[in-house]
Amino acid sequence: MNSRLIKELPELVANNVISHDVAAKIEDYYSTKQTETPNRLFAIFGVLGSLLVGLGIILILAHNWDHFNRMTKTILAFIPLLIGQVIVGFSILKEKSQAWKEASGTFLFFAVGSSIALVSQIYNIPGNLSTYILTWIAICLPVMYLLKSNMLAILHLVFSTYYAFEVGYGHFSIDETPWLYLLLIALALPHYLELLKHKASHNITSIFNWLYPLSFTIVLGAFVNDLSELGFLMYLLLFSLFYNIGKLPYFDDQKLRRNGYLIFGSLGIIILMLIMSFDDFWFVEQLLFNAQESYVSFVLAIANVMLLIWSYNRQWIKSFNLFQYVFIVFLIMYLFQLNLPTIGTLIVNVLIFVLGLTTVKIGVDKFHFGILNYGLCIVTALVICRFFDTNISFVVRGLLFVGVGVGFFLTNYIMLQKQKRNKEQLK
Amino acid sequence: MKTKHIFILFVIVALVQIGIPAQMIWNRESILDTGKAFKFKTQPVDPSDPFKGKYIYLNYEMNSFPSSQETWKRGEDIYVSISEDSLGFAKAIAITKKAPKQQAYVKATVDWSVNNKKEIRFSLPFTEFYMEENKAYDAEIAHRNAQRDSLPNNTYALVYVKEGEAVLANVFINDIPIAEFVEQ
Repeated sequence: MNSRLIKELPELVANNVISHDVAAKIEDYYSTKQTETPNRLFAIFGVLGSLLVGLGIILILAHNWDHFNRMTKTILAFIPLLIGQVIVGFSILKEKSQAWKEASGTFLFFAVGSSIALVSQIYNIPGNLSTYILTWIAICLPVMYLLKSNMLAILHLVFSTYYAFEVGYGHFSIDETPWLYLLLIALALPHYLELLKHKASHNITSIFNWLYPLSFTIVLGAFVNDLSELGFLMYLLLFSLFYNIGKLPYFDDQKLRRNGYLIFGSLGIIILMLIMSFDDFWFVEQLLFNAQESYVSFVLAIANVMLLIWSYNRQWIKSFNLFQYVFIVFLIMYLFQLNLPTIGTLIVNVLIFVLGLTTVKIGVDKFHFGILNYGLCIVTALVICRFFDTNISFVVRGLLFVGVGVGFFLTNYIMLQKQKRNKEQLK
Repeated sequence: MKTKHIFILFVIVALVQIGIPAQMIWNRESILDTGKAFKFKTQPVDPSDPFKGKYIYLNYEMNSFPSSQETWKRGEDIYVSISEDSLGFAKAIAITKKAPKQQAYVKATVDWSVNNKKEIRFSLPFTEFYMEENKAYDAEIAHRNAQRDSLPNNTYALVYVKEGEAVLANVFINDIPIAEFVEQ
């Protein structure tokens, strides 16, 4: 972006928009700024290279070379590990740039994995995939803090999720809960909090703002035996928690694309509710006490309430936003067994409609075309879903479609007009 | 933190990273050196692992034992005492909840108990034998073909056993190591 600005300087000078002096100052400013920032491109390609080489080594060794004897294989198992350790040690000792540290750390991560894998292979150690991954990430975790490496933190998060997935959904795991996943996440949190505190506006922080909710969404189902029972309530509570986190001023004041929590939460709530809006859904749903789902849901509900109370006390909640409270309605419906098919379906449909309108209103208030149209999409999705319920007459369905279509035109048109007027006023 | 301190901490971490695979090796070598070798009759099938490569999965003929009144839970550790039968293959002679003191034994896992048959099903822990990737499938085929011989099951795993821990050393078809048998 800076280079584009610099390229346009001569044109601006030629057209007398800015003077020569100003142009020179701008150029100076960006050139000094550039020397201060480390070479980001080098870091990215260094990490990418290490990632590929590391994975490649694992694959090559996984061929199981028959011609090597046990001794040779054992030595081979340690060579990548030692090389990785020497490079990491070198970058620490010589205080190399962050790019060096990220790249060498990534290589070491995969070298550790390959050496454990190869030893298990040489001695035919059966251990399942989850224990293997657990050992692997556990002995790489300290390196993440020593190098202050973001890439290692990403790998830690990805592989922790992989671990939880294996334990929770894997072939051989029945009745197993990946409790250790919580510990693994807790151990990685200081790194994330550090980023949030000191590097709030960096791209790397927003990557984590997306990865954490993604990981939690994948893993939550691993904490219960059977998703069919309370699964919907549990996931709704999780997405609601994401939404409420995303609404904290710290995240809400940033650009929307950095706020993974808010987008994840909003999309999650809407998608789940659309599924719940079908007639058949409420026949199946039932509350089962004493199941692990109930406890997990309970914890999530408490977390939601606490977060809301906290936000309220801090006076962060300025206006009513249905998204933040929608979980309460569902809690009541489940708790009091209000899950009668017609009532449940009716409530959910009305809620989705109101949520759609809420979103449109937020879009108008913020002057954000994206949010505005997202709200209209919610309403459209609701109408499309109702299209499949055959018990509504064709005329009504047709009218609904026409109505929403007109809504799209009108709202966008009004917004555009408003924008034009604002611009004219500014002139 | 000073660079020096970070470096010292890293050296400690590096030693742990070397130590864990090294300790795995040490354990297995000691079993191979001083353990007793048993032959377990088996049947191979070939799956694969994303990190460790291709292996043949071994289904052992020894997978159950008549049980007394004791209650067994799924996934529980079970100690299977073993000795050699007249043909020199391993056979189970007793199952216990605690490690026996005299005989050779292996630690296995309870799969389920068949109540009406009064029988305990268990899995031996040495079920994976790693092979070069293009040989694993051939090994399964070779075993199937060798089965067509008039002889009874002639595929067995050579396992070293020491204090309940076991290392799978090799798999044989007609007394020829499976990797060589496949090449023939």
